[in-house]
Amino acid sequence: MQLIWKNLVPDGPGTVKLKPVEDDDMWHAYNLICPGDTVQATTVRKVLREMASGGRDAERVKLKLEIRVEAVDYDKEGSVLRVRGKNITENEHVKIGQFHTLELELHRPFVISKDIWDSIARDILHQASDPAASADLSVILMQEGLAQLFLIGRSITTVRSRIETSIPRKHGPAIAGYESALKKFFENVLQAWLKHIDFSIVRCVVIASPGFTKDQFRDYLFLEAQRRDLRAVIENKSRIILAHATSGYKHSLKDVLESPNVMNLIKDTKAAQEVRALKDFFTMLSNDSSRACYGPRHVEFANDRMAVETLLITDNLFRNADIAERQRYVHLVESVKDSGGTVHIFSSMHVSGEQLEQLTGIAALLRFPLPELDDLEM
Amino acid sequence: MGTCMVKMPRKVGHAHGYDDDYDDDYDDYYDDYDDSEDAHRSNHDMKGNISSQKLPVAKETARKPIVWSCSICTFDNEESMVVCEICGVFKESFVKSGKEANGIGNDTAAGSMSTMANTQPGKMPVKVAAKEPISADSYEKASMSYERGNTLHSTSTAQKVEIAMLPQEKKLSQPSATLSSNHKLQENLSDTLATTKDSSEVIASSLRQINLDRDRPSASTPISDEQYKPDKWIQLDQDNEALRQLNLAIVGHVDSGKSTLSGRLLHLLGKISKREMHKNEKEAKEKGKGSFAYAWAMDESAEERERGVTMTVAVAYFDSSKYRVVVLDSPGHKDFVPNMISGATQADAAILVVDACIGSFEAGMDGQVPGVAGVGQTKEHAQLVRSFGVDQLIVAINKMDVVGYSKQRYDFIKAQLGVFLRSCGFRDSSVAWVPLSAMENQNLIVPATDARLTSWFQGKCLLEAINSLQPPSRDVSKPLIMPICDVIRTQSMGQVAACGKLETGAIRAGSKVVVMPGCQPATVRSIEQDSNVCSVARAGDNVAVILHGVDSSKLMPGGVICHPDFPVPMAARLELKILVLDVAIPILIGSQVEFHIHHAKEAARIAKIVSLLDQKTGKASKSAPRFLKAKQSAVVEVALDEAVCVQEFSKCKALGRVFLRANGNTVAVGIVTRLIDSVQ
Repeated sequence: MQLIWKNLVPDGPGTVKLKPVEDDDMWHAYNLICPGDTVQATTVRKVLREMASGGRDAERVKLKLEIRVEAVDYDKEGSVLRVRGKNITENEHVKIGQFHTLELELHRPFVISKDIWDSIARDILHQASDPAASADLSVILMQEGLAQLFLIGRSITTVRSRIETSIPRKHGPAIAGYESALKKFFENVLQAWLKHIDFSIVRCVVIASPGFTKDQFRDYLFLEAQRRDLRAVIENKSRIILAHATSGYKHSLKDVLESPNVMNLIKDTKAAQEVRALKDFFTMLSNDSSRACYGPRHVEFANDRMAVETLLITDNLFRNADIAERQRYVHLVESVKDSGGTVHIFSSMHVSGEQLEQLTGIAALLRFPLPELDDLEM
Repeated sequence: MGTCMVKMPRKVGHAHGYDDDYDDDYDDYYDDYDDSEDAHRSNHDMKGNISSQKLPVAKETARKPIVWSCSICTFDNEESMVVCEICGVFKESFVKSGKEANGIGNDTAAGSMSTMANTQPGKMPVKVAAKEPISADSYEKASMSYERGNTLHSTSTAQKVEIAMLPQEKKLSQPSATLSSNHKLQENLSDTLATTKDSSEVIASSLRQINLDRDRPSASTPISDEQYKPDKWIQLDQDNEALRQLNLAIVGHVDSGKSTLSGRLLHLLGKISKREMHKNEKEAKEKGKGSFAYAWAMDESAEERERGVTMTVAVAYFDSSKYRVVVLDSPGHKDFVPNMISGATQADAAILVVDACIGSFEAGMDGQVPGVAGVGQTKEHAQLVRSFGVDQLIVAINKMDVVGYSKQRYDFIKAQLGVFLRSCGFRDSSVAWVPLSAMENQNLIVPATDARLTSWFQGKCLLEAINSLQPPSRDVSKPLIMPICDVIRTQSMGQVAACGKLETGAIRAGSKVVVMPGCQPATVRSIEQDSNVCSVARAGDNVAVILHGVDSSKLMPGGVICHPDFPVPMAARLELKILVLDVAIPILIGSQVEFHIHHAKEAARIAKIVSLLDQKTGKASKSAPRFLKAKQSAVVEVALDEAVCVQEFSKCKALGRVFLRANGNTVAVGIVTRLIDSVQ
């Protein structure tokens, strides 16, 4: 994201102009824009005009509109952000108070004004405009009969393709059926690979699976690459690595990111930090369960006792339409920071964030054991 | 029958453990059920013995809530009618309840009731209209004429005896004699029945409770399993079948020699041709893996041979003197446990293969990598097969040749593993221990010959141990349920076959079935068992069913073939009673797991931890706990990504057992207690 100009007071009103340049930026914008803010952007609107003759004429007009946001909608597949709200600037085509939906797109700048730029919003802004290396990594997670192709960006993970076929069990003479079904399955995965993996964007490709499916697929891939002369694959052999996964389902992606050779590639990125933080949480939970807690009630209880050392929280909770609710979490984050704790805000578009979201979206590692937690109902 | 994995001493006087609790619940149900089945059977026997030639054409028709169709003329009568409008035959359920009572009472008292029910509607109305008092005579006459009318089965011989024994019944049944019209007769028939019951009460008051209980099921909800009445062909020649099928899973840690043992068994029993064996031997030698020759008989895919690891469950057949054994050779490698679950859930009994080598046995118990938490597959598999519902286990201690047939080693393994198996809920009496060597052919199908082994071991050899397994019980009298384990497509013929084990009910060529999910109707074209066509398949049989009229792309492993009138429900949110196994990471609300049920697997998450259950009493001890730790049992709600075919454990065991896995380990086993949003 390019920050074109900024004019804001911390914890006070302000305005910034931003220009999204990559897919991740749309996600940041989604997190940044809350109901109640105003957004200004160029847009196209169909305008009805009554002609002197009494007939009507529809015309598409390009205009610059400023709206007060009522709802934000993010399309993760198409990477488009739709912001719906009421017009607040006088315009010859659109009256004040008329509804309009802005569609924010890549490379089109927009202006956001907020009444209060709280610490979370400033963080997002800072993160979004930080040109640190992004972890563009592609993972093919497979098991026999199921394969999914993921693209892992700095703050979002997208499923690019999902292939599911039924592969028969081995069965005496039907063994040929097994082999041909497997081959067909691999062919489908290869097609998905060719369609979605662009080595100019991704740093490397990880093939992960339980058992030997990954090896089988890699062999198939290299063989086919030779046969069909797929330059992209042949030239980038060194960027294709294998990793072990416990299953082919999406939540196993976490195992893949945790595995040492993948961790090396993405170690300085946010995704890796999140994976590590969540792992720490689970380790603590299994070793000393009274020093880990989750769920808003429990975490707040711990925070009241200044016990929170590390707070894990998903960005989803800040996207709450209820301003008071958002404030509650913002205060929680600030109070943890004030008392010397660290805060990890997880992107709910990553697997680790998704997992945290399942665990109520909030968890904490504590400085000292709080056995009272066991008596508190979830 | 429970799913006990608790490491808990099984105290004798303490019948309230997790397992025991299930046992109780389940046993109650099962006993109950068994009774009714017995009742059916004895009823059938009676039919066969007394008047088999006069058997009615008891075509099975599922009763609809509003109309019932006559079993003789197939006329659809209204629910309120007790007899058929056209031919005067009794409504089936009515007769059935009578029959049941008949079976249960098993003597004169209850019998009289059913006879009465049978006789009165036939020709009786005429007599009643003539205001003849109902006496023993008229009973007899009625029943005789009824029999002549060639409708329902009669037990007139038994009845004569019984009437002689019940003189006071005459006066008790007087009131009904005043009936004057057919219509009125129907209305008052229940009264008559009640009076008859009263009379029987006098004779055998102790039977009353059972009688009343028996009557209840037929008054339950419109379509429930209780109302299913199996066709005649389903139960015929059930006992005279020469060999009963036994689904035998071979499980154990990786490289303990499961495939080699299975291959060797098949070879010794002549199931593998010499030529084939020779080929395997030669190929194995070429690859420098001479010892894999027998395993290759099971591991046919190139990939498996290449790596020397079984990856999917292989199915093979052999006949012992007592059973037709279906061998399910499962993979032992940690990564293929899901395959093992989906392939071996059908098992009736299991052989747990243990590697006797120093170090290998320990790896099987405590996991491969020292220092990493987790259990070896010997333990994991034992727990899993127990929760498949298998309670008979043969522990084959393999590779005894490597440890020089040492008794010390055998005793050590037996002691170590025995404690663990007991904690899983295997009874000592149903675990057989067999030391053997698959490579040196010791103690497989004939007793051992090596003096080092015979000197201290005189027990059964493996084949004898298999033969001494108790025959599994089969539910043929329930509606058909067959979880699909595997789908085979024959491209050339365009045929599609579903493989699996029939859990309940039976099918034959031409049967109409429904394939869930999708509720697709289909017809059975033929049934194959080990590549041989067979006419009928009953509960417990492992068969390939070739279906006709079904979209082959919709036929997936994990689906269920069921009776058209009793489709299996689908649900994506379930309430489970689970037992957490030895897990390092506690289970939290929102934990993501892989959910395995029969042959289906689905990604799922724990949506809610409802309550923690007390290990001793099975009662909820704490509601909404923070998390579940190892060895706790609890009631939880899970949300699945997609709906699966599922049934409460109390209704169908096979569709109600679940396994939760995470991070490559089985974290919990349990049963389904409730479907929260079932979709038909």
